[in-house]
Amino acid sequence: MLQKLEELKKEFRESVEGLTDKNSLAKFKSDYLGKKGKLNDILKGMRSATTDVKKSVGAAANEFKQEIQESLVKQLAKIEIDEINSQLKKSWQDVTLTDDVQVKGLQASGYHPVTLIQREIEDIFISMGFDILDGPHIEDDFHNFEALNIPATHPARDMQDTFWFTDMAHLLRTHTSCIQVRGMEAHEPPFKFVGPGKVFRCEATDASHEMAFHQLEGMMVGKDISVANLIYFMKTLLSEIFRKDVNVRLRPGFFPFVEPGFELDIECLICGGTGCKVCKQSGWVELLPCGMVHPNVLRAGGIDPEQWNGFAFGLGLDRLVMMRYHIDDIRHLHSGDLRFVEQFKAY
Amino acid sequence: MNISINWIKDYVDLPDDITLGELGTRFTLATCEVEGVETTGEHLKAVKIVEITEIEQHPDADRLNLVTFNTGEEQRRVVCGAPNVAVGKKVPFASIGTTLPGGFTLVPKKIRGIASEGMLCAEDELGLGEAHDGLLILDDDAQIGMSLADYLGTESDIVFEIDNKSITHRPDLWGHYGMAREFAAVFGRPLKDVFSKEWREGLKALYTDEEPPVTITVEEDSCCLGFTGISMENVTVKPSPQWMQDRLSTCGMRPINNIVDISNYVMLETGMPNHIYDRDTIKGGEIIVRRMGEDGVFVTLDEQERNMIATDTMVCDKERISGIGGIMGGLDSSIKDSTSRIFLESANWRDSEVRKTSVRLGLRTDASQRYEKSLDTNLLEQSLLRLVELLKESCPEAVVVGPMQKTAMQPTPELKITCSADRIARVLGETVAAERIVEILESLDFKVTVDGDVLIVDVPSYRATKDIEFEADIIEEIGRVIGYDNITPVSPINLAETTRLSDAKQMQRKIQDYMVFHARALEVMTYPMIGKKLLEQASWPIKNEKLTLVNALAPELSRMRPSMVPTLLEKAAQNQKNFNSFRFFEMGRSYESLEGQAYSKDRYQLGVVFFDKTGSPFLDLLNVMKPLMNFLNLKAQFEPANEKYPNPVMPAEWSGVHPHEYLNIKVMGKNCGIVNTVHPIITRQFKIKGNVAVAIFDITDFMDREIKDKTKYTALPKFPSSKFDCTVVADAQTPVSDILRVMNKLKVKEAEGVKILDVFKMSEEQKTVTIRTTFLDREKTLSPEVLREAEDKVVATLKKAGFPLKV
Repeated sequence: MLQKLEELKKEFRESVEGLTDKNSLAKFKSDYLGKKGKLNDILKGMRSATTDVKKSVGAAANEFKQEIQESLVKQLAKIEIDEINSQLKKSWQDVTLTDDVQVKGLQASGYHPVTLIQREIEDIFISMGFDILDGPHIEDDFHNFEALNIPATHPARDMQDTFWFTDMAHLLRTHTSCIQVRGMEAHEPPFKFVGPGKVFRCEATDASHEMAFHQLEGMMVGKDISVANLIYFMKTLLSEIFRKDVNVRLRPGFFPFVEPGFELDIECLICGGTGCKVCKQSGWVELLPCGMVHPNVLRAGGIDPEQWNGFAFGLGLDRLVMMRYHIDDIRHLHSGDLRFVEQFKAY
Repeated sequence: MNISINWIKDYVDLPDDITLGELGTRFTLATCEVEGVETTGEHLKAVKIVEITEIEQHPDADRLNLVTFNTGEEQRRVVCGAPNVAVGKKVPFASIGTTLPGGFTLVPKKIRGIASEGMLCAEDELGLGEAHDGLLILDDDAQIGMSLADYLGTESDIVFEIDNKSITHRPDLWGHYGMAREFAAVFGRPLKDVFSKEWREGLKALYTDEEPPVTITVEEDSCCLGFTGISMENVTVKPSPQWMQDRLSTCGMRPINNIVDISNYVMLETGMPNHIYDRDTIKGGEIIVRRMGEDGVFVTLDEQERNMIATDTMVCDKERISGIGGIMGGLDSSIKDSTSRIFLESANWRDSEVRKTSVRLGLRTDASQRYEKSLDTNLLEQSLLRLVELLKESCPEAVVVGPMQKTAMQPTPELKITCSADRIARVLGETVAAERIVEILESLDFKVTVDGDVLIVDVPSYRATKDIEFEADIIEEIGRVIGYDNITPVSPINLAETTRLSDAKQMQRKIQDYMVFHARALEVMTYPMIGKKLLEQASWPIKNEKLTLVNALAPELSRMRPSMVPTLLEKAAQNQKNFNSFRFFEMGRSYESLEGQAYSKDRYQLGVVFFDKTGSPFLDLLNVMKPLMNFLNLKAQFEPANEKYPNPVMPAEWSGVHPHEYLNIKVMGKNCGIVNTVHPIITRQFKIKGNVAVAIFDITDFMDREIKDKTKYTALPKFPSSKFDCTVVADAQTPVSDILRVMNKLKVKEAEGVKILDVFKMSEEQKTVTIRTTFLDREKTLSPEVLREAEDKVVATLKKAGFPLKV
């Protein structure tokens, strides 16, 4: 009997893996385990067997039963997976055919590089407690010149620098310093704010000159603000912008709206101050104009220069953009050419 | 401007323990920008005098010779193309390794196969003149082997190239004496008082009692601020001494003759321009300064005809014009070789007028660029005396005739500024002792009276014309001389306060973020100016004539754009060449011309373009613009055009409006934007082959307001909702919004929402629309009876409105 059992086991093991659908599996199960199934067929002789035989055959039969059941469950799972997978195979798609490899897909999307840099710098100022202000592009003589202590005869008012409108009283702002004036009009000291934006100069354009470009004006007004404060502040700010410790130096520079006025140089980031092509061997690169706000400017903004003073500075954003991305021609910035802006894609 | 250090050393001893580079750097930090430091005349020491001994024709070149010469030590040979080579001539020779002016260093090379051991030089190659028609032929008795520097008697010099922009506010720095004063102050050295009272008196002794041969009349309304003049006789016109020629060359001026050179020299020394006339050309013995009176032509010294206008100030004699005040003299009155009687002029002119005339004429001279800086009338006499002194040195036989003529003098007003050490310390953030302050100011020629803590500072007149005005200017003098790099940086006191982006800025940033991350668009920037042609191409009815620039760079940038639409169309047309479809946006501005008090208004706008070669991108754009409003917490409506409610961003007459694909965006009850497929009639004009949908969204009127987040939470329903779908028949061109509007009037209180489930086009005329209505009762489970009644009402309402159930 044991031998028959062994033979049956062998037969089962050989045929179970050939089952490929649920129906034949069900039939197969009843063939073996059903009342008139092959196992019961063998066990029919059990009644007449000895106790010992009963014991050993019974145990073997139970073991076999269990094996059959487990095998069938396993086989059923396999059949199901195979069925689903063959379904999936029908809905196969090419997962390498993504948007980025196709001509017909949409172009990438992203911010303009000036926006990228401007935001970065605005965020630094926000973190330092500055407000971010704005103002109109079309300005009047007062906000662009007079309030900034630029007298009527000053060369900056010439037609070769300033875009004038036909009434000769309005103009396109030539600097973001107008935002200073508007900021002073709107705020009570002490205050600190920056004003980023587009400015315009009437000059012929080439790879490094634009008639429309971007500046960021900054101003801090309080009690007893000093040159020492200005130096400290600029050093902190520029270290954050360039993400490394920078050295700065001030030298005399003349701008009507500040007194004393400075040109701020930054120790060359390329050579570290030892002298190279970029800094013309001097170790320093001229970066921005700054200075202590001229009392006439404070007065024009409705602030008493006897009580308050402060510093102001201007930063050219386009130059930072050009430096960061090694852009060869400033005219790309306003070109509206998607092949240009696409290179600064956000994702 | 070039500064000769040899010249500076006439007035001040410079420290010899620091390098030239350091000298330049310290000067840059304290006074003005030294752009370059150069040594001149070094090459003349290396160039030797040689004698030509043999000339052979170059075997491979007709025009070249092989020239052999004696250097005093040996025979050498070069390949030379100069036509004036001749055996026995003495010429300058630069050997291999010599660096000539222009930074060109001689290297060993072969010319047409034959090695050349250096170069025989022409005048221009040595920086000695402009001649290049042959070798510089030296005197026959020149000593072979001698350096050219020794032969010519020239001295090597150091030149500081000063950036003119850095001294625009310092009229006193446009001459060497003024620069020397700065060196003296910065390096703490004494300055020689070369223009002392004694010096002045000594020269004045040369005046005579004779009747002055030339008198001066200055008309009151001219721009002359003072005119001094004096006559001299018996001068001889001849070359200047080499040292003077060297200094002029170093400063970039060409030596001409002693008279002209002295005139230039005094200007470079004192910073005050002057003019020397051939006195015989002054008709009627009178100089008259007056306005031009009427427009006319005048020929200047450089033989150019200049168009003068009535208001220009001219220097004239009894008969004709002899110069443009403060800018340039005339051709007629200039010094000739035969001149022996001269008239010296030292005059001052109003800065702004000189500038205006010089800019108009496009004639910027050494004189005009100095007068533009506001010169000091008090210095006129001094520079006139200096001219006399140098002329006497050059022509000892010359004599002064008559006294100095002086008229219309408008002296620079005295300027006293009150200051204190405490105030200086507070502004600089660094304490400077009162004694040191006084020392610095005195070294700069300021007079200081100490009255307790108060310093009363007397400003020298040549700094008081414009440069120094008030306390902060004095503080700057102290700061720059002690050196800003000696100030210890100190953090400003920070108040405890919060900051965040302004509402307007936040809105702009949110829009940009949304357009990049949700709309998948690229951000661009475009010029805010536009040309009439582009406006016409876009058939844009508003031309913004009032916002036209006087001095536009090009016609296509002549005015401010009244709308972003034409620019966006132009950019779409440009980009269609490179892409089949694209999306871009600009967070930019357009400009509204206003009447009355306000001139114009900048309109802050989002402009978006969706382009597709084949299908209409309108719905894609609309599906971007609608959720944008929610993203910005704005309640907005998208509505078809309506004549009764004009849209400020879209003139009604614009022919670019699409008959069906157009919607106004309305926020807070006002139209402030559009979504539109540009009519093919317009895209055709731009040669755009495809479909352009454009959106404009103007945020100007509400961007500064705080937009509250009005999201309201509703508790989740406790009872199940029920959905009811029904399919109705409608005309193919009936918008689903018509059906939804009918459903909105449905009077069933359990109706929670209505949406379109499906649209199916049955034929050209008809379509079916499947509508899903959701019913919900928040208090209890909906009973089958209530539901049935509600569903019947839906069907009846639709049927009544002309949308019967599909059977």
